[in-house]
Amino acid sequence: MTYIQKRNVTGWLFLAPFMCSFFLFVFVPVCISLWLSFVQLDLTNAAQSKVVGFQNFSDALKDDLFWKATHATLNYAVLMVPAVLLIGTALGFGLYGMSRGRDLVRGLIYLPGMLNVAAAGILWQWFFNNEFGLINFTAKRIGLPVLPWLSDKAYAMPSVVIMSLWWTIGATSIIILTALQQIPQMFLEAAALDGASQRQTTFKIVFPILRPVLFFVFITTTIGAFQMFGQAMILTGGGPEFSTRGLVQFMFETAFNGFRFGYGAAISWLLFGMIAVFAVIQSIVVRRDS
Amino acid sequence: MKKPSRIVTTFMLFIGLMFLMPMIIMVLTSFKSEKEVMEPSSVIPQHFTLANYSQAIHSAAEAPIMMWSLNSFFVSCATTLLVLVIGSMAAFALTRIRIKGAEIVMNLLVGTMMVPSQLFLIPLYVILSRLHVLDTPWALILPATAGGFGVFMVSQFMRSLPPSLEEAALIDGCSFWQVYWQITMPLCGPSLATLGVFTFIASWNDYITPLVFMEKITNYTLPVGIALFQSSYSTQFGLTLSTSLLATLPLLIVFLVFQKQIIESMSSTGLKD
Repeated sequence: MTYIQKRNVTGWLFLAPFMCSFFLFVFVPVCISLWLSFVQLDLTNAAQSKVVGFQNFSDALKDDLFWKATHATLNYAVLMVPAVLLIGTALGFGLYGMSRGRDLVRGLIYLPGMLNVAAAGILWQWFFNNEFGLINFTAKRIGLPVLPWLSDKAYAMPSVVIMSLWWTIGATSIIILTALQQIPQMFLEAAALDGASQRQTTFKIVFPILRPVLFFVFITTTIGAFQMFGQAMILTGGGPEFSTRGLVQFMFETAFNGFRFGYGAAISWLLFGMIAVFAVIQSIVVRRDS
Repeated sequence: MKKPSRIVTTFMLFIGLMFLMPMIIMVLTSFKSEKEVMEPSSVIPQHFTLANYSQAIHSAAEAPIMMWSLNSFFVSCATTLLVLVIGSMAAFALTRIRIKGAEIVMNLLVGTMMVPSQLFLIPLYVILSRLHVLDTPWALILPATAGGFGVFMVSQFMRSLPPSLEEAALIDGCSFWQVYWQITMPLCGPSLATLGVFTFIASWNDYITPLVFMEKITNYTLPVGIALFQSSYSTQFGLTLSTSLLATLPLLIVFLVFQKQIIESMSSTGLKD
């Protein structure tokens, strides 16, 4: 064997454990999932499984519950994404403007993200509880109206969003703070020398520089919003009347409570399709920018 | 932009406190008796009691919290170790040995990183049941080693290192294994630490995977366990809050120790959750 051949063999040996794992747990699953989405697989009666073509997909599009789950997912995304962008940016600017204690506050804002979704959900379920929850208890004391946070269709999703914001906003704030800190000081000094006002500097210099970061946050938050699962599962169980049951929970319950694996796989591909749209937009824009 | 002002600083300190408040209330409430949780007169417990904690630890049959902690520890440690070893070896092959086809492998990796993890749940359930590892810790550990992110991250870091040290070692007669283990690994310390901490946190907090792959209550990890606990004791908030705190404590310690690294690497990789 030549040196190059020997080098290649050694290299592939180094790569082998990962490639085995990748093959077994990424490549094969994608194939199985694709196959499953075209069959009607009933685990309780495997002999009855048969290839049904696109029927799982057309079933989904005719399924009222699928549309309810899509609606809940979109509802979550529409509330969550602008809130993350606005509050995350505000917190990022706030952190940037601190004269001291920045590391402390940065840590405090990020801390809730260390809780697992079950612990965070349990905490907020107690806060939101109608009768003895902290929020209604305090509201009663200071004379504010008592709201049915988790038990009313109108308030359930906003409640899930509030908990999610507390739980995840730290990451966004820190990304924006880091972007602000990386803006070269001379840009700002030059603007000040040229007589630019505070507002002009912010909107004509800082925001244009932040644009790629804000776009990145927008895309990743949107993709994350489509995958919402644990928060609603713990807080509301998807209720009331499916108003907070998103697509992931719908897929999960179809497959593992209803044992309809084929239908569940089809739902997961539809979800992937929605996410892929955003992933593709991102890769196009990133490529154009660089 | 504005010079740092006192108003902003004070306001942000207040905001930071607001973010911390729910957790402080959680801690305080966990020391209250159930009766006091239902009819609170103040946020601070009037009668400090450890009743919730002793009940959480002693309700072993229906909620074996020690068992869940052990499961979580084993799964998170094993996952982290395997991801670090397998991922860094793969990154070494792709960027340092520069094998034929490295670029194809890399593109494949990055391509699959976009696929949402939920897509894998159903097929993985099928595969893991064929491998007879469902309802064992391996059902959580093994699939986690296939993620492309770790390989991608360590590869990026290795590319930023000058190859001269490794080349010198090779010329002096070191084998690739020796170069990997004695030169590249120590140089990659920072990126491996970051990857390790993030893998550990993600594994420790994972909720949907153990929910799907674990069946017996004694095999649960903490997040699924405390969620089950909450559904069976849903009105006993003192008890469920104290179990949640017990489940969170180890990560809070990790966070306090590695705060700087976690936050800085999070902001540089743009990694979320």
